[in-house]
Amino acid sequence: MAEIKDITEARKKILGNYFDYSMLFMVIFLLGFGLLMVYSASSYTSEQSYGDAAYYLKRQFIADVLGIIAMFVVMFIPYKFWSKFPIAAYAISIVSIILIIPFGIESHGAKRWLKVAFGFNVQPAEIAKLCMIVVLAVVVAKMGKGIRAWKGFFVAIGWSLPIAALIRLITNNMSSALIVVGIAFLMVFVASPDYKKFILMVLAGAALFAVLVLVARAGMSNGNFRFGRLAVWLDPESQAQGQGFQVLQGLYAIGSGGIFGKGLGESMQKINYLPEAQNDMIFSVVCEELGIFGAFGIMLIFLLLLWRMMIVAQNAKDSFGLMLVVGVMAHIAIQVMLNIAVVSNSIPNTGVSLPFISYGGSSVLFLMAEIGLVFSVARGIEVSQS
Amino acid sequence: MAKKNRPKLNITMRRKLVVLYGLVLLAFVGLGARLLWIARENGAQYEKQVLSQQHYDSVTIPYRRGDIVDAKGTILATSEKVYNLIIDSSVMTYDDKYIEPTLNAVQQCFPDADITAIRNHVYANKEKEAGSRSAWYVALKQISYEDKQAFENMQNDPDNEDASLIKGVWFEDEYKRVYPNGSLAAHVIGFTKAGGQNEGQYGLEEYYNDMLNGIDGREYGYMNDDATLERTVKPAVDGYTIHSSIDANVQSVIEKYLKQFNDEHVNGNKDGNGAEHIACIAMEVDTGRVLGMAEYPTFDLNNTRDTTPLLGTRAYEMITNDNGYQVIKKTDTVITQEVLDEMPDDQVYLNLNNLWKNFCISNTYEPGSTAKPFTVAAALESGTITGNEVYACNGFLTKSEHKIKCHNYKSGGCGEVSVTNSIAWSCNVALMKIGDTLGKKRFCEFQRIFNFGLKTNIDLAGEARTATLIYTPDQMVDSDLATNTFGQNFNTTMIQMITGYCSLINGGYYYEPHIVDKITNANGATIKNIEPRVLKQTVSESTSAFIRNATRETVMQGGRATGSTARPAGYAIGGKTGTAETIPRGNNEYVVSFMGHAPADDPKVAIYVVVDRANNWKQDDAKYATGIVRNIFTEILPYLNIFMTEELSEKEIKELEEKQIAITNMYTTPSEEEGESTTGENKDTSSSETVTDSTGETALKVPAWMSYPIDSATGYRVDPKTGNQFDAKTGEPITDTSVLDDDVPVNSNIINVQDDAGGVE
Repeated sequence: MAEIKDITEARKKILGNYFDYSMLFMVIFLLGFGLLMVYSASSYTSEQSYGDAAYYLKRQFIADVLGIIAMFVVMFIPYKFWSKFPIAAYAISIVSIILIIPFGIESHGAKRWLKVAFGFNVQPAEIAKLCMIVVLAVVVAKMGKGIRAWKGFFVAIGWSLPIAALIRLITNNMSSALIVVGIAFLMVFVASPDYKKFILMVLAGAALFAVLVLVARAGMSNGNFRFGRLAVWLDPESQAQGQGFQVLQGLYAIGSGGIFGKGLGESMQKINYLPEAQNDMIFSVVCEELGIFGAFGIMLIFLLLLWRMMIVAQNAKDSFGLMLVVGVMAHIAIQVMLNIAVVSNSIPNTGVSLPFISYGGSSVLFLMAEIGLVFSVARGIEVSQS
Repeated sequence: MAKKNRPKLNITMRRKLVVLYGLVLLAFVGLGARLLWIARENGAQYEKQVLSQQHYDSVTIPYRRGDIVDAKGTILATSEKVYNLIIDSSVMTYDDKYIEPTLNAVQQCFPDADITAIRNHVYANKEKEAGSRSAWYVALKQISYEDKQAFENMQNDPDNEDASLIKGVWFEDEYKRVYPNGSLAAHVIGFTKAGGQNEGQYGLEEYYNDMLNGIDGREYGYMNDDATLERTVKPAVDGYTIHSSIDANVQSVIEKYLKQFNDEHVNGNKDGNGAEHIACIAMEVDTGRVLGMAEYPTFDLNNTRDTTPLLGTRAYEMITNDNGYQVIKKTDTVITQEVLDEMPDDQVYLNLNNLWKNFCISNTYEPGSTAKPFTVAAALESGTITGNEVYACNGFLTKSEHKIKCHNYKSGGCGEVSVTNSIAWSCNVALMKIGDTLGKKRFCEFQRIFNFGLKTNIDLAGEARTATLIYTPDQMVDSDLATNTFGQNFNTTMIQMITGYCSLINGGYYYEPHIVDKITNANGATIKNIEPRVLKQTVSESTSAFIRNATRETVMQGGRATGSTARPAGYAIGGKTGTAETIPRGNNEYVVSFMGHAPADDPKVAIYVVVDRANNWKQDDAKYATGIVRNIFTEILPYLNIFMTEELSEKEIKELEEKQIAITNMYTTPSEEEGESTTGENKDTSSSETVTDSTGETALKVPAWMSYPIDSATGYRVDPKTGNQFDAKTGEPITDTSVLDDDVPVNSNIINVQDDAGGVE
């Protein structure tokens, strides 16, 4: 017995720290599942456009590998290191967004990418989300109890607003702007012991939205379509061939999949009908091929992933580490919720990708870096035998 | 696992973290419920939606309608591949820089395309969001391969800077029905409906529609079980090729002389065509194969709606008759451009329909004396006569208290007439007497045996029903039998007559007439061989031999025999003339015809020419038909490897040489103008013929169709212009006109047929 104890002690010294294998497994599973779904959703269109059914699959695979490397690199850097560069991180996100104006690459009718190398482009909005998490974690950690006051609250949220505004104005990307603000909002929510402020904010937001909806409804009955997205959201079938096409085709996909789906690879909607099937609308293809059952499975894995992150956050050594993990949690949770909400037409259509699963190199790369941050925080947790 | 060193500060954060997680969990539950609701509420409907829109995703590959070729493989009808110009605006608007270069290229290569409409379509599509469904636009239909090639060359031209910017223009395959020979055999071939539909109308195109049509193919992409893309092509099955027994050479010779007859008689007695119908069938005697079948006026298969062929025909109109039925009646109006301009569209269509109809199988008429060989054969076959009888003809016979005359009633009858001469001289009285030996019952039985009143089932669309147009024994009175024996008071179609005639002369074998020999698939493999089919034996070989001799006598005997003018130089042929008075009687309107075969003793080919109401003040002249037969035989007999057996007179040699030169000129004449001037000469010659005849000059460039040979063969003095008048002077008429007095009863069933659209069901 003594020998065994010695070995355990020895191992504790070697490994030293906590490593969440279940979380790693879930992330790898999601990436693998993502590759599968990207291939399934894109092979027809990529065969048509590029003459190579695996075009998107290959690119996504490279991005995944780069992402896993990034994750391990970030994991082995003690997360405290990042607390030294909040200003630099903030500056990087602003500069990279502004660089789009002269050097941006246009695709799908929007200018959102910067060319890096080897035909790979990077989306500054994704950099901004990562940097936002780091910056706010530093800010909140430094602020300490100051966050409780309205002033602290506004200062913390305020950091996100310029970035969000730049993203909205320069890249015309409403959803990324909302996500940046959302991340900030949720991080501050966790940091602050208060509830009243947040309930008020949420109520105010909901009221504003309700007013918009009412105005849009009135506008629709007068034949005024200035509130295009809202109008489509309220009645997608009215513009089945226009703006409502994507939403409606997504709903057709979900509805036609039923409970157990048509089987992997059997989606019919991905063939010429569902625009961006491998990207923002990939969850529709999941629903069509694997049914509600498969969709719930994926949602469950996201919940488990978020739960593991919560455990890591709970055990973080300091508030900077805790806030880092909360930021990553918030990022993933917001994107998953927005994506599923858009696909199910629960909210007006806005382009949000599904983390780890949707096609998109920048998204995966920076998400994996964020996962690396979480692992880095986890490594800080000292594990002892009970 | 236990955790150490939790900083106090973080306790509230941890609690809020749990709350946050709870909120996220709640949101997930909400979204999950939403998904479940969508699947439950709209699942079935959305599934249908998905399947229905998927339906339109595959591309149809059109089949090629089969060809129609003649006996020698000459293409009579074919389907040419053409292309539809497709504008795919979703591709074109993918990048703004594509739009203008592409539109320019389209405008440059396809000036016929409505570029404004294309531009509007493209820009309308650009405004909409991606994924809008109406990106596909058919800009131009039925472009030729050359035009398509020109566009593709421009697209692939390395020197063209804009070439790489031409995007989103595709070509879709389609087939167009083309008739390389225009109007050749138009009535036999028929055509397909306008607008590229593969639905045959009239003739072979209609009768063999299902054979000619194939099965459309399909091309579609789908994901297979391994989630990989599969592009599947189910190729189209092309239609079968129809090999007709028609010989394009024989057919064009026939059409040439029908047209020539028309040109000679156009605007003769009054304005209009040379005759209401001029039609001809040539048939292989021992198989029932149709070698040629034509009529004038005809039409251009590549432009069936052209109204020019209607000019000079008598107009038809739809009227409501006394019984309240809508019937189509022939009017006395001759169609001119002015008439056409005022004619409502449906009336024009009515007249076109009548033009498209095949006279040879769809129209019925009283055959006249060409029916005589049938009556004689029936009597011989049933044994009521032996063939050695001699009948006395004093010009008329009284039947059912009506005086029914022979054609030479005025000159006191034919005198002593043998059975053979009753055919050769075409004596009505002798025939009536032969008919008496038969009796009504047997006569009607034999009509049935010769297939009168029944369809021949020739493989062409639109054969007329004649069941009600012949008598049954109980309906018949004596005068009906009498008139029936020489081909009046019952109606037949041309195809019935010639098919029956073939059986009379070939030993009694009644072959089902057919116009298609073989059907092959697109690869040339034979699908079906249509062999000659003997339906029945109509008469015995001895009766057949008697008829062969009698018809030979009709042409070869000379003297009073009626068919001399049909004999082509150098050949011995058999045949029978016919001149039938139309209804109403007594207004000098006649259908003249000649039905013959060559060689006389061993028949190979039979021919039947009908001239329906020639445009001449005197219509009852069988020479109209015999002249055409003579011309046709002169050209087609050598072509069909039937050799001359008779000696040629010098005149005939000269005539043949001239004809050869004329025919050679026809094919070597460099320009159309000269070709026309030849026709002009033709007319001049015939008008100057009288002069030539009287002066004894023989320097004729082109022989006229009723000229010297007749004189030399028969010793008659026949002036082509006024010949009939001088005939009377000799007291020996060479016509076989049936002159039926007004009081002779007329088959009530055929009265209406005569002038209406022709008794097609």
